[in-house]
Amino acid sequence: MEPVVMSPPAAALLDVAAGALLLTAVLVVWRRDLPTILRIFTAHGLALGALVGVLAWAQRSVELGLVTIGVLAVRGGLLPWLLRRALAGAGPARREVRPVVNVTASLLAVAALVLLAFSVSVPLVELGESPATRAVPVAVAVVLIGLLVLVTRRHTISQLVGFLLVDNGITAAGFLTTSGIGLVVEVGVALDVLLAVLVLQVLAGRIRDTFGDVDLGELRELRDR
Amino acid sequence: MSALGVAGGVLQAVVIVGGAPLLLGLMRQVRARLEGRAGPGVGQPWRDLRKLVRKQSISPRGTTEVFRVAPVLLVAMTLVVAVVAPLVTTASAVPPVADLFVVVALLAHATVVIALAGLDSGTAFGGMGASREVTVLALVEPTALVAIFALSVPTGSTSLPTIVGTALDDPQRLISPASLLAAVALAAVIVAETGRLPVDNPSTHLELTMIHEAMVLEYAGPDLALVELGSAMRLSVYLGLFTSLFVPWGIATTATPLALALGVVALVVKVGVVGAGLAALEVFLAKLRLFRVPELLAGSFLLALLAVTTAYVLG
Amino acid sequence: MTTPTLAALAIAPIAVPALTAAGCAVAGRRTAAAAGIGCAAAVLAVAAGLGAHVVAGGPVEVAGLRVDALSAFMLVVIGAVAMVAAIAAPAHVAAEVDAGRLAPSTARRQGVLVHAFLAAMAIAVLAADLGVLWVAVEATTIVTAFLVGQGRTRGAVEAAWKYVVICSTGIALALLGLVLLNHAAAHAPPGTGGHGLDWAGLVTAAPGLDPGVTRIAVVLLVLGFGAKAGLAPLHAWLPDAHSQAPAPVSALMSGVLLAVSFSAILRVKVIADAALGPGFVRALLLGAALVSLAVAASLLLAQRDYKRMLAYSSIEHMGLLALGAGIGGAAATAAVLLHVLGHGLVKSVAFVGAGRIAQLTGTSRIDRVRGLVATQPGLAAATGLAVLALLGLPPFSLFASEFAIVRAGLAGDGPAAGWAVVVALGLVVVIGAAMLRHTGRMLLGPAPDGPGAAAAPRRLPRSTAVAMAAGLLAAAVLGVTAGPLAELITHAARTLTGAP
Repeated sequence: MEPVVMSPPAAALLDVAAGALLLTAVLVVWRRDLPTILRIFTAHGLALGALVGVLAWAQRSVELGLVTIGVLAVRGGLLPWLLRRALAGAGPARREVRPVVNVTASLLAVAALVLLAFSVSVPLVELGESPATRAVPVAVAVVLIGLLVLVTRRHTISQLVGFLLVDNGITAAGFLTTSGIGLVVEVGVALDVLLAVLVLQVLAGRIRDTFGDVDLGELRELRDR
Repeated sequence: MSALGVAGGVLQAVVIVGGAPLLLGLMRQVRARLEGRAGPGVGQPWRDLRKLVRKQSISPRGTTEVFRVAPVLLVAMTLVVAVVAPLVTTASAVPPVADLFVVVALLAHATVVIALAGLDSGTAFGGMGASREVTVLALVEPTALVAIFALSVPTGSTSLPTIVGTALDDPQRLISPASLLAAVALAAVIVAETGRLPVDNPSTHLELTMIHEAMVLEYAGPDLALVELGSAMRLSVYLGLFTSLFVPWGIATTATPLALALGVVALVVKVGVVGAGLAALEVFLAKLRLFRVPELLAGSFLLALLAVTTAYVLG
Repeated sequence: MTTPTLAALAIAPIAVPALTAAGCAVAGRRTAAAAGIGCAAAVLAVAAGLGAHVVAGGPVEVAGLRVDALSAFMLVVIGAVAMVAAIAAPAHVAAEVDAGRLAPSTARRQGVLVHAFLAAMAIAVLAADLGVLWVAVEATTIVTAFLVGQGRTRGAVEAAWKYVVICSTGIALALLGLVLLNHAAAHAPPGTGGHGLDWAGLVTAAPGLDPGVTRIAVVLLVLGFGAKAGLAPLHAWLPDAHSQAPAPVSALMSGVLLAVSFSAILRVKVIADAALGPGFVRALLLGAALVSLAVAASLLLAQRDYKRMLAYSSIEHMGLLALGAGIGGAAATAAVLLHVLGHGLVKSVAFVGAGRIAQLTGTSRIDRVRGLVATQPGLAAATGLAVLALLGLPPFSLFASEFAIVRAGLAGDGPAAGWAVVVALGLVVVIGAAMLRHTGRMLLGPAPDGPGAAAAPRRLPRSTAVAMAAGLLAAAVLGVTAGPLAELITHAARTLTGAP
């Protein structure tokens, strides 16, 4: 693959989009009330779309331009909409009341995770250095932040957001490294993610019906002792 | 020591001392109007200061020199920063002092001095306010240092005039993620350091919530006037620094009268706009409970850290 | 064979289950049951045909699919386990419906989802492109989510949630690994091999891949596919899902799904060995193996639920597979493949037996089941034999494969593999003792007296008996001789060790 030559303004815009991606991921950890988290998550999806859009513009690629529209529609439109609908059906609990790790500690954990992401990504950046690959550590950091949200939050919607943050981070990494991994696979991945979210949404509804709550801390039916 | 630097130093001192109470007045007026009150007018803080200066100087029994020296030190330290920092011009009157670390240290010292005075008064409120203020300071200081470090990475220097000059030459750098993240982190620092909402409520005298006001409760007369003036100056200097770092346009680069005049106008307008914006935002904010403050500050520390790392990674 | 015939043969293992799934949506229960058995038989037959062709003529690439010895062998495993599950499923479903625990519409949906699940697994083993493989493995998660959560009880819903979240996240890590592998492949020296994520192309290009990036990618891939294969540290979903899913589904998940995911790890290992040398993946796999065995051993000792006991036994056997794959070499790899098939057969028999026990006793607690030999001699004998086979006793094939893995480990190069084998053996003995004690309590002893004790019929439903006997018999025969499969296993092991 030939190295992507990028004009300085495109590189600067790419940096801004990557920064927005990271910032919104951090804000998801920071905030507790779920409607706000969902708004931030929408912004996160739009930042991802902007990132792909800048890449499309930099490479003058029509195909990537179309992908941008798809990414914006799914990550910035459809998935947040699904989550909002799930939240509307999730009953009165609108806040992440008591995360497993308190917010201050998880923010410091995020700081550590970002440093970790940036240090493990060194070989990724060094292989084929370009403005795009230099933003890969940000994508890896978003993946790690998503994992943190996934394991430290108890509300079903928060966990879904964490899962989707992981996924957005991976998508960003895919576009930043090689501008995607083949159309068939990409469509398959998008479909899988969408279905996974739908399945989880249905399950969240069932959790509410059977446990009377969407707090996953209540899930202790299955244990070994 | 360049002509530009000296001219700037004199002008800045005059503008800050003269304008700081007006900025405070402007912010109160904006807030009053947004809340549907008529407001006392922009000049009210100056009128308050005049009234206080005419009063007799008294100090509580049992206090030491610390209590009496603190207001003077507060104003003096802030004045030094006002003179050397690049607010009106890019050059500095005393370049070695116009270093980010020195400036932040001076401003933090001013806080410590007031906290000591609060302790010295020996009252319950003074001690409580001092303890709270020092807690916030301890959380704010690392954030400020790390955010500043992020700004100094691209230029390779912590000298304020250099940073501002580079930003003027290469404005594209100002929208880099590192710069944006540092801006947000520094904004949180400024809000916490100057005792604004949501960290502290500047207009409260409710014992459970106040931080800054609790420390200076024992002051009266000319001493209180100095404390009030010093606090107003701190706010102006912080906002001025913030605008110089992130919106440097209009700042004077040559010593011509026109450029200097433009620099003064630009500073006044920028700080006025940012101050008014801050006041407008405060209308919609409630004060954070004290134990939630560390959360806010941990967040801003994280942003500052992100700023440094992205400055290194994204370049 | 001509290309169109081959293409038809390669697509058949995907198309037949997919069509059966569609058929199950409209057909009656009796027809669907027959179709299930027919579907499994078709997959087995096609697998045999493809296997013979591949052994004779090497790998075939048609229509985006790639049939090599490993995929043909995995198809055999899918077909064989699907056969056991398909024979046993109708009786299980009928009993559930009669007991009122399963609505007829849900039973119909179970048929549809099970066959969609089979089709997804067939895609996973046949895909030429690692990306398609990933999509198929993630699809199995989505399809099985509702099978796990079918019971709609608190436990079932909880298990389904954990299952989807942990597996989807784990597999997302694998996707990140694929992205990075793609990154490395895009920057490989030109002319060294294929493009994108094509497995064969990556294997040729592997020596030219950037080691730094490939190392991160391989860690993520092993961790991700390891989550789906039930390897520690992302194994937490497995006991919950396997204990809550309907017994025939548990049989399929434990017998094949884990193995399909593990075969993805085996394919990644080929690339990693060529790019990084054999030491890196070996360390990863041996570590995962020992941790998995330790987890299984510690949680089996005081286990109170016999379905969970079987699930932890699956973790144990996945650990043994990782151990064998970590040791590497043709002998150990062949043993790993034989172990996959043996474990699939025996574990599905064990789950079918456990499902029947649960239907008869209404509980899955070990201490509530007593004296099965007296009340249910056939069921007790088959379940007991299956557990003995899981412990690795002769004549079942698990004995042969475990023995071969141990021998390869002790004879292999470097002391690390030898020490790992010694530690693993110790853990396997602990696991064996724990399972023997729990199973013994359930099966032996006098029949409990009390209300309802004599109500249940003493005989197994004929189809259940046939399924369990067939599975045990096949495992026993495999233990003596692998017959025509031996050739296929040798070829598959050769594909995986990079030997020509």
